[in-house]
Amino acid sequence: MSATELKSCTSCGVPLVGRGSAYFPCPQCGNTTVGRCARCRDQSVEYTCPACGFVGP
Amino acid sequence: MSMEEVPQGEQHSQADEADLLVPYDVYTSNGVEIGTQQKSASMRKFIERIRHDGLYVLDLRETDRRIRVAAKFLSRFPPERILAVSQRQYGQKPVRMFASVTGVSATSERMVPGSLTNPNLPGYVEPKVLVVADPATDQQALTEAVSIGIPVVGLCDVNNDTRNVDLVIPTNNKGRASLATIYWLLARELLREQKKLEAGQAFTPTIEDFQAPL
Repeated sequence: MSATELKSCTSCGVPLVGRGSAYFPCPQCGNTTVGRCARCRDQSVEYTCPACGFVGP
Repeated sequence: MSMEEVPQGEQHSQADEADLLVPYDVYTSNGVEIGTQQKSASMRKFIERIRHDGLYVLDLRETDRRIRVAAKFLSRFPPERILAVSQRQYGQKPVRMFASVTGVSATSERMVPGSLTNPNLPGYVEPKVLVVADPATDQQALTEAVSIGIPVVGLCDVNNDTRNVDLVIPTNNKGRASLATIYWLLARELLREQKKLEAGQAFTPTIEDFQAPL
C-alpha cells in the first residue's frame, strides 16, 4: 500500500480537508507551496514560507 | 513599531527612495499611504505612524514590497485564470484597465452570487486566483473564493479585516488616485514578471488613464 502525501496547513499543521482551505505557491519565492486551513484563513493567522521566510498574509 | 508623529518627509532617506517602484512623491501625491482613523488589529503591522489629525499612515516601503510580491505571485498563474474584482466605484475603471492591459479577467459590476460556485449560471468562471479591491465591499467574491479554495490577493486599508485574504497589499483602497496608482503599478510589474515588458522599457499607459472619472 503506497502512502499518499497529505497536504497540511503551514501555520497549524492540520491536514487540508474540506471546504475553505487553500494551497498555493509561496508568493515571494514560488519554490514551496503554502497551505492554509479554513480556520487559519478565517482568523488571519500568519504563515511563514519555510524556504524564503516570507511572512503572510 | 513606534507610532509617534514624525514630520512628513524626514523619515525617508534617498537610499530608501531609490528602491521604490516609483518615486516617493508619486505615492504621497496620490495618497497611497493615507489610512483611516480606525485601525484593525490585523493591519497594525503595516502602520508606520499616526498623523496629528488621527489618520493612520501606512508604511510605503511595505506597500511597495507587497506590490512586487503580488506581481510575482500572479505571474505564476495563466492571465485568463486570474479574476480581478471591484464593486467600489473608484475601483471599477482601474480594474477594467488592469484587465485590458494584462489580459486577466475582471468583474467591475455587481458580483452575481454563484459566479464562482454555480456551473449552471451563464456568467460562471473558474479562476485560480482572486484579486479584490476591498475585502469588505467585495465580500461576495471573497466568500465564493473561500468556498472553492482559491487564494485571494486583497488591497487592504488600515480599517480592513484581513480575514480570508492570503496576500495583503496595504494601501488606501478608497481614493480615486490611490486605486489607479496601485493597479497601474500592479499591471506594470505583472507584465515585467511575465517578460512581456522589459525592465527598461516604458509602460505606455499612465496613472491618469487608470483613474476613474469624477
